[in-house]
Amino acid sequence: MIRRDGRAGQDVLRRVGEASVLILISLADGPKHGYVLIQDIKELVGVELGPGTLYGALDRLERLGLIEPLPADDRRHPYRITAPGAAALRVHLDSLERVSAAGRLRLQLGGIG
Amino acid sequence: MNDPRTARLIDIVLRCYPARWRRRHGDEAGELAALLVRDGTPAGSIALSYLAGAAREWLAPRPGRPLTMVAGALLIVVCSLGVSAGLLGSAGPATAASTSQERGRAHCRPGSPGSVPDLIPDVIPAVGRPPLIIGEARHGRSC
Repeated sequence: MIRRDGRAGQDVLRRVGEASVLILISLADGPKHGYVLIQDIKELVGVELGPGTLYGALDRLERLGLIEPLPADDRRHPYRITAPGAAALRVHLDSLERVSAAGRLRLQLGGIG
Repeated sequence: MNDPRTARLIDIVLRCYPARWRRRHGDEAGELAALLVRDGTPAGSIALSYLAGAAREWLAPRPGRPLTMVAGALLIVVCSLGVSAGLLGSAGPATAASTSQERGRAHCRPGSPGSVPDLIPDVIPAVGRPPLIIGEARHGRSC
């Protein structure tokens, strides 16, 4: 679970799915609503989130306290990342970096890469 | 959405979500679908994505929704899919003919978990080949 002080003890994003991580990354530089999130993620990593996937992930992230909704702008509901969300994203990205480094090292040791 | 058939398809699929979800996201989801269609995303893949999302919404355990109810809904969905697959597999042209006759009547009933598979024969023929769209996999990529 995420602590109220915004520090994450463990990598909570390991179990939330790739879509949720991509949404957090997209929200890291400012609030966005659904359509902009889909466009931004497509531009960022070339992955097109399905709208059904998007709303499922947004609800899950909100339940976890990692994002919060802002007042609606017409029909659109923007979301922003919370302090615990930013902390969880940092922990997850650090973890990915460690995995990546270990993988590259193993490839090097094996003489494959 | 300019095409009324597309608008109707999206509307039907959005009605498959629980009322709580529709109150919260319904209007925005309809507008988002219209924007994606305008950008060139096939309506069929948008509908499929929403359909899968609706199934997940019904099947996900939530506070106040006991696990037995979720398991029951899952059982209904699996059985319905099995029966549908069996019918489709056993009667090819006859099924296609009856499906087209039934098309006008097929719809989702709000509040009914069993309504998701009811829609599937109505959606699949219009879908074509959806593009690569990421699903909500717990571990790794799912398309």
